[in-house]
Amino acid sequence: MSTVGSRALSVAKVDFLNVRRAKLVWGPVVLYTIFMFLFFWGQSNADSPDFYAVLWGLIGIGGVLVVPLIALVAAYLSIAGEVESGSITYSLGLPVSRGEFVAGKFLSRAGVVVVGIVVSFLLGILAGFVFVPGMEFEYGDYALFVAVTSLYGLAYVSVALAISAMTASRSRAMSGAIGFFFLFNIVWNFLPVGPVQMLEFLGDQFDVEFSDSFLELVFSLSPTGAYLNSSQLLIPDRFLQTVGGAASSPSDPFYIQGWFMLVIMAGWVVVPMLVGYWRFRTAQLG
Amino acid sequence: MGAIETSGLTKRFGESVLAVDDLDLTVEEGEIFGFLGPNGAGKSTTINILLDFTQPTEGSASVLGKDCQRESRAIRERIGILPEGFGVYERLTAIEHLQHAISVKGTDEDPDALVDRVGLDADDARRPAGDYSTGMRQRLALAIALVGDPDLLMLDEPSSGLDPKGMQEIREIIREEADDGTTVFFSSHILPEVEAVCDRVGIMNEGQLATVDSLESLRDESGTAQVEFEVEAVPESLALDDIDGVRGVTVGDSRITVTCADPTVKIEVIRAVDRQATIRDVLSEETSLEELFNRYTGGAIQTESETGSGSGSDDGTEEVVA
Repeated sequence: MSTVGSRALSVAKVDFLNVRRAKLVWGPVVLYTIFMFLFFWGQSNADSPDFYAVLWGLIGIGGVLVVPLIALVAAYLSIAGEVESGSITYSLGLPVSRGEFVAGKFLSRAGVVVVGIVVSFLLGILAGFVFVPGMEFEYGDYALFVAVTSLYGLAYVSVALAISAMTASRSRAMSGAIGFFFLFNIVWNFLPVGPVQMLEFLGDQFDVEFSDSFLELVFSLSPTGAYLNSSQLLIPDRFLQTVGGAASSPSDPFYIQGWFMLVIMAGWVVVPMLVGYWRFRTAQLG
Repeated sequence: MGAIETSGLTKRFGESVLAVDDLDLTVEEGEIFGFLGPNGAGKSTTINILLDFTQPTEGSASVLGKDCQRESRAIRERIGILPEGFGVYERLTAIEHLQHAISVKGTDEDPDALVDRVGLDADDARRPAGDYSTGMRQRLALAIALVGDPDLLMLDEPSSGLDPKGMQEIREIIREEADDGTTVFFSSHILPEVEAVCDRVGIMNEGQLATVDSLESLRDESGTAQVEFEVEAVPESLALDDIDGVRGVTVGDSRITVTCADPTVKIEVIRAVDRQATIRDVLSEETSLEELFNRYTGGAIQTESETGSGSGSDDGTEEVVA
């Protein structure tokens, strides 16, 4: 007999087998590894190589671009691609419920992203040895950074899976993924028309004062904002001061502290997937 | 209880398209049922509802006594399907497809035995299915359908993309399964294919069942002959009804059409008309099964297998990363 768990795992296994053979999926991982090598190499030219400068660089480029790219490419076709190619008639003609199918897809694509990120960071250790053998390598923080970056990747996997579950073609899934990326990453956190600036503008107009903590929370509500602000868990204050970042203090409200950033990212893992499943449960596949 | 039962089943797409119109269909356990009709008659939509790929607008459907919407997964545990437009995981082999199917059906069959049974080459079964021809994909789909010795086989246009030899082999497998007590629900737009294997057929046209009957009685109906006369003038009192075997006479301007229960009556009818009127022309026709189907479907049935029918969209040239 098969069970709910064993069926979801079987879906994950067969999907992973298939997707891992797609070279395109590994492209962004290679890009991430290249950046990692560049950052380690960059420290080899510095007067005093600093391990946290490498992490700082990776948080920036990974947060803005490469980690979302890894996850979106890995997952945006997970369901829409099956509907478009017709393989959904194979997958769901078998005794697999739609819930088991979505869960299996998430496990598989999450696996691709985590494997990619972990392999990339393992190669990073190698790069550290080769380029900056004298630099002090903080393995504990490095491991924590791998975990936080993986969580960020999973948030984007969940978003991509949800978009994929709601669309029936490659082109729409791609538009959705790109649209989300622009809105909740570039616009939300980097362009001067993001929600933080809008609130500040409205505050000026109507003479309302928003606290800095509140605005910081708004910034952190996107997965990218939460990821960038989770850096306070890893990067020591002495380094943050040198790059002009604000040091965190224990008196900050809980909702802008490092651990809460993990909660926000976890929310981005759970909620989109549930919404995607809810829509996919009654989607027309024929 | 029927293997498949639908009651008042209706499916609308948007406002204007009525794909299935108040369908009441019963397929008995153990029979081979042919579901016949032209493309667009509503066959695939019906099957999609039975598989819960799409939901009905009204009415209900059950398979093996279970509700198609509420117990779909449990239904799919006991049936095997060969869907129209079957797609594969491009980068997985046939064996890998089968291993997954065996795992979720909770059986312990040997993928190689299934591959062998449907006539797929053992070496091909270890190549990525994205490289398969349509015929090879159909064989793989059939192998997957046979996993777990299903109680019901649902085959949607099973021979699309197959050569005559492949069709023959699939027919043999269908018969073997039916001999084992498996109910077979077989949809097709190609008449001879259905004629060759089915006990009973239902003919769909424009979302409705035009007729359901055994092939035998359809053949009886189709054995009739028609004689059409063109005459100088139709006699006032035409006496043909007393001839044994005449089923009906219709009279037009200068035209007499006589339907005979069997072709041997024709000569006698011609002699009788010749005695009563001046014949200008005689046309005699036997009603074939094919014509009968055309009558039910407004002439839309295809009587030969044509290439490019059914699922022509998956030619495997496109790589989908999914």
